[in-house]
Amino acid sequence: MKPPMLARMLLLAVAGEGESEFVAGDLHEEFIYLCATRGRPAGSRWYAWQVVRSVVTLLALRMRSGEALHVVSGLSVAVPLLLLDRLWCFVHSQIPLKDGLSRAPGFLAVNLVCVCICAALCGSAARSFQRAILIAAATAVSATFALWAASGYTSAAYVWLMLLLVPASSLLVFTWRKFV
Amino acid sequence: MEEIRMKWLKWIGIVLAVLLILPVVTLLILGQRKDAGHMHGSIEIAASPQQLFPWLVEGDKLKQWVSWLVEVRVPDPTVHGVGASSVWVMKDENNGGALMQIVAKNREYAPPSHLVIQISVEGEFTGENVYELVDLGNGRTRLEMDSRYRISNWFANLLEPVVTPAARKKMVADEARLKSIVESKAEVR
Repeated sequence: MKPPMLARMLLLAVAGEGESEFVAGDLHEEFIYLCATRGRPAGSRWYAWQVVRSVVTLLALRMRSGEALHVVSGLSVAVPLLLLDRLWCFVHSQIPLKDGLSRAPGFLAVNLVCVCICAALCGSAARSFQRAILIAAATAVSATFALWAASGYTSAAYVWLMLLLVPASSLLVFTWRKFV
Repeated sequence: MEEIRMKWLKWIGIVLAVLLILPVVTLLILGQRKDAGHMHGSIEIAASPQQLFPWLVEGDKLKQWVSWLVEVRVPDPTVHGVGASSVWVMKDENNGGALMQIVAKNREYAPPSHLVIQISVEGEFTGENVYELVDLGNGRTRLEMDSRYRISNWFANLLEPVVTPAARKKMVADEARLKSIVESKAEVR
């Protein structure tokens, strides 16, 4: 008898491969017992609830061990970029006679600087070259996602500059920190 | 090792604080400048003031050159000149395409050379647009546009130093559109 697939996938995503094996083992024993005594729906509900309530604890555990740093890196690039996009939307919305979605170069430059600083801060937390590469990749992926999700129009040059500078600043700070 | 980590965390905290505090302080200082919320634009158009003036007051014509203006409603068509009001419906693309109603009221009306329109959205902003049409002769007119706005919301007011240049950019683009439309119509005639 298998536990609900969505709950298992969530467990794997938040706990990582190593940790999820142990947690899933413990949960599975209890799940089998509950299915036998109270029926499968009750067992599935219990399993899903246990996974959901453990998400924060498991994520904190992963972050403490440095394993989920790339996840944090991704968020720390996408979240500021999306917040800045909302801010520029608000600014344009305050223009008395309104305006479209195109953004002034100054606004795009602020986006670029802020996101590069965030990526650099993430890069500074990497302890090994492999981890630094992983973080740089995560920041690039996250920047791509944020650019896709943003509502403002962006030029191809801006997108390429962002995708180049974000991972580069992450790697540069890692390298600088290693040698200083 | 722990000491180095704390040092880096301290630096990260400082950088993030600077990233937040510095722009806010800059905005607060810039917001105090004398011409806050003030925009001015001037453009020469190859049309006489008589030809140009209707483009500043007639709804159908306004819609052609004021970007994102989708409708102009006149609540009382019997009132003309000073005191006449209309409702400008603007499409706000930055607010999910929401439609916004701006009340425009003629404060001064002296065709074809002078027009002052008071515009406002309750709870958001009040302001006025002053249009001066200077006859340059040879069928040419210099249009001077002067706008001054006061934003009510405190956060939007804090962002005024960013909002005003964006609004000025939009005004310049609209003026260029007006010039192009009016001159093309004048050529046809």
